[in-house]
Amino acid sequence: MSRRDDRQRGRQPSRLPSQGLLWLMAAFIVLLLPQWDRLPAWLIAVCLVLAGWRWRAQRGRVRLPGRLPRMGIMALLIAVYIASVSGRFTVDTAASFFVLAVGLKWLETRNHRDFYVLFFILAYLASVNFLFRQEILWALVNFLALGLLLVALQVVNAPDLPDGLASGWRRLGGLFLKGLPFVILVFVFFPRMGPLWTVPLVSGHARSGLSDTLRPGDISHLAQSSERVFRVTFGGAVPAYRDRYWRGLVLDYLDGETWRQTGGAPVEPLARVATDGGVGPLAATEYEVLLEPTDRRWAFALAGSEAASGNLFEVEEDLFRFPRPADSPVRYRLRLTGLPKVPGTPLDATQRHRYLQLPEQGNPRARALAASLAGRLADTDVVAELLTRFRQQPYFYTLRPPAMPENGVDALLFDQRRGFCAHYAGATTFVLRAAGIPARIVMGYQGGEAGVDDEYLIVRQYDAHAWVEAWLDGRGWVRVDPTAAIAPARIESGLRDAVAEEGSFLESNPFSPQRYRDIALLQWASLQLDRINYQWQRWVVGYQGQSQMDLMSRLPGGLGLRELGYLTAGGVGVGLLALGLVSYVRSPREARRDGHRRLLEAWQALCRRAGVEVRPGDTPDDLAKRLARTRPEAGDTARRFARMINSHYYNPSAPASSSDLRRMRRTLSIIRRQLRGHRTGTGNAP
Amino acid sequence: MISFFSRQWQDWVHRRIPRADTRRFNQKNIFILPTGAGVVFGVLLVVMLLTAINYQNSLIYLTTFLLGTVFVGAIHQTHQNLSGLVLTLVQAGEGFVGEGIAFRLRAAAGKRGAVAIRLSCPGAAEVCFHVVPGQSEDVTLAVRGQARGYLRPERIRVETRFPFGLLKAWSWIRPLSSAVCYPRPRPAPEALATGEDGDDPQLVRDRQGTEQAELRPWREGDLSARVLWKRVARDGQMVVADWRGGAGQPDRLDFDAFPGVDHERRLSYLSALVLARASQGVPFGLNLPGERIEPDLGAVHVRRCLRALAVWRCDEPA
Repeated sequence: MSRRDDRQRGRQPSRLPSQGLLWLMAAFIVLLLPQWDRLPAWLIAVCLVLAGWRWRAQRGRVRLPGRLPRMGIMALLIAVYIASVSGRFTVDTAASFFVLAVGLKWLETRNHRDFYVLFFILAYLASVNFLFRQEILWALVNFLALGLLLVALQVVNAPDLPDGLASGWRRLGGLFLKGLPFVILVFVFFPRMGPLWTVPLVSGHARSGLSDTLRPGDISHLAQSSERVFRVTFGGAVPAYRDRYWRGLVLDYLDGETWRQTGGAPVEPLARVATDGGVGPLAATEYEVLLEPTDRRWAFALAGSEAASGNLFEVEEDLFRFPRPADSPVRYRLRLTGLPKVPGTPLDATQRHRYLQLPEQGNPRARALAASLAGRLADTDVVAELLTRFRQQPYFYTLRPPAMPENGVDALLFDQRRGFCAHYAGATTFVLRAAGIPARIVMGYQGGEAGVDDEYLIVRQYDAHAWVEAWLDGRGWVRVDPTAAIAPARIESGLRDAVAEEGSFLESNPFSPQRYRDIALLQWASLQLDRINYQWQRWVVGYQGQSQMDLMSRLPGGLGLRELGYLTAGGVGVGLLALGLVSYVRSPREARRDGHRRLLEAWQALCRRAGVEVRPGDTPDDLAKRLARTRPEAGDTARRFARMINSHYYNPSAPASSSDLRRMRRTLSIIRRQLRGHRTGTGNAP
Repeated sequence: MISFFSRQWQDWVHRRIPRADTRRFNQKNIFILPTGAGVVFGVLLVVMLLTAINYQNSLIYLTTFLLGTVFVGAIHQTHQNLSGLVLTLVQAGEGFVGEGIAFRLRAAAGKRGAVAIRLSCPGAAEVCFHVVPGQSEDVTLAVRGQARGYLRPERIRVETRFPFGLLKAWSWIRPLSSAVCYPRPRPAPEALATGEDGDDPQLVRDRQGTEQAELRPWREGDLSARVLWKRVARDGQMVVADWRGGAGQPDRLDFDAFPGVDHERRLSYLSALVLARASQGVPFGLNLPGERIEPDLGAVHVRRCLRALAVWRCDEPA
């Protein structure tokens, strides 16, 4: 393509119908919505500018760039993209590349082919969006975008159709309603086989949530978020609020002011996506967690649980892990064993060393306190004494802790006395270790509010918590929660009540419905929405391999994957056949419905058999005249029949009635008899 | 091999769709296949299904099934869009070789209407139209005349890709009537019998034509083209120029006037001469081997002459 040629085409970009382009752009913008928080802002801005450019060109206001400028823009944006991705490959980066590709494609959307390329990219983008968000509202947004895309296709295929848009939506609606039963059947019966190969993570970005390091004050920013972390359903009684300690991970290495995991997180190859979250009704000791994506392998569990579903396993320190980071919602089951585990063996030397580790220096006053406690008391009493100190002395639980950059433990314990759970957990672990008691920090969540009708608990980010476990000989790891001593309300009823006086609950999150608990309507609406989403998540989003097998096993016949495959294939085949049959049966019936038309055809056939040539455009009168000429004996009846037909078709005042039709039919059979009689007559003649 | 199959296929189609000026489209004669975009759509569905399987994502399964159903629905809709349509060749036009010759077709929709129906034919620009349910629409397909004679397209393709362009349903109408394609006019050489004296033959004939005309009063039945309207404007007398009394055959265009020239070329010369006479408004006749057209004037006469030239020694296709 020469440049001149190119520029000429650039001058007339309106070969595509504006309406179609507009709807395609609308679909694009709607598809960006579910990704608004993960796409880089520059990318969204660039896409909007490029789409705007294309639109202005469509209106003839500006010209589309020629080939060279276009290449320049493309190279520049791709370079920026590569720099921003910096080598990570996840679905997230692929999705933003899709978005970039669509943005660039706007500049050369000239003909139908380009239009279809965009359609396909956007349709796939809609399904990629489902990897990020599965809530029912976002699903509706995505389906809306698909609808816009399909309407855009209709507009492009019939641009000058009057009223095309309304009829497009109508047609799509009809198609959707007619297809819905079919979709549901296939959705239920299509065999959900396991993943065929491992796939990259949906997102490489860290989500907000717990992290695997803890600095004093880290958790307080989570306390400003009301995002849901997981929901729990209990088979039996729901434990009391103060017992809802959801353990996620253990930090055991103090590095300056920061708590870490010993050795850091191991790098493991990516496993396939597993959704085997257990099926059937929950036993009384079981509970089921529906975890929102965290991009971590941590599964949150109550102390004293064991795995009851196949998609998680137990690791040391009584924690549970998924084989693959939770990049989409995960449902899993655990069983309460009743009693906390009592260790048969004491800690070995390595473990003691690990749980007693402290930095060489720092926090001298805390160390002195620990030494004095350890000097006079047994291990159990040291813990009790420390908690008493927290309970009796004026320590404050606050979301607005002061900065304590150096010797933080000393500053917290002796000077400021104001902190959040992370501060107190860190300080407690420090003192216990300094006193020679093995201790570790546990991170997770504490609490959980009830959903609608107490069906399940909702645990949110502001329930994030850090507490301590201390090793007491003979009792094993014992939970020690300094926060419970300082602010019992936090453990008994949650953060909101614990910081009620301070008024700092969700203070930087004015749009969270959880902040306005006193507005009953809002609260009710938020919980109802949560329930809808919960059911959606459980029954639609979570309808996967095991739950399908579970459903199928309740049907008679015991269907396996293979039977399901046959069933689906058969169902699709029967459906297609039925569709074909319906359209086959319907079409001749339509022709048959017009009795007069059929009579006319019979009449023409009769004439043809009598040796009268029937030409297209012949009127019944013409035929009658010709028939009368070749077969005079039938002439009168034929003319009468022609008159009847004419009066039916051309005399609007004559009411169409079935008796009229019957009369004509009779006349026709008279003609037939007359013709036949003549033929036999001539046949008999010598 | 391929040509063998394509011929078999053609024969089969022709048996299935016999020549007729009216065709009603239904199951028996509509073909439907995915378009290129439809094939890509299928690939997209497979990719989406794989994504759903590997990410164990129910909503992507759902999207895949939804779009799959849309595709199946589109098969039905695209077919229905064409089904029930009745296409009738109302008039096959006339024109010169190299021009678009109009085939006027009437499309009558069934109960459902027909959207974005495209008519195409080799040598014709595509025509796209919609028909409202229960109504009819006239469309003109301009088929380029390739050679003198009867012009009857082997078949006119009727196609629709509505609603989504993922499928194409098509059929053909194989018209029975033919259009007539006049020979392409070529300026005739001076060898024309009347142009002997070296002057511009046109001029000579003009002069002759007028001089030889006998003027007489208008009487009923005279062609209005023969009335000397200038004279009427001058003195109100309706006077008619009558050549019948003129000397011999004033202007008879003759096939034999170009000895040694190829027949087709002669017809082209005659075609040009007919046009020239027509534009001058002078009477002329036409002599063709086997056919004589007496001198006359007027559009009907011109058409008759051109038609005669067009179909000379051509058989109307059966």
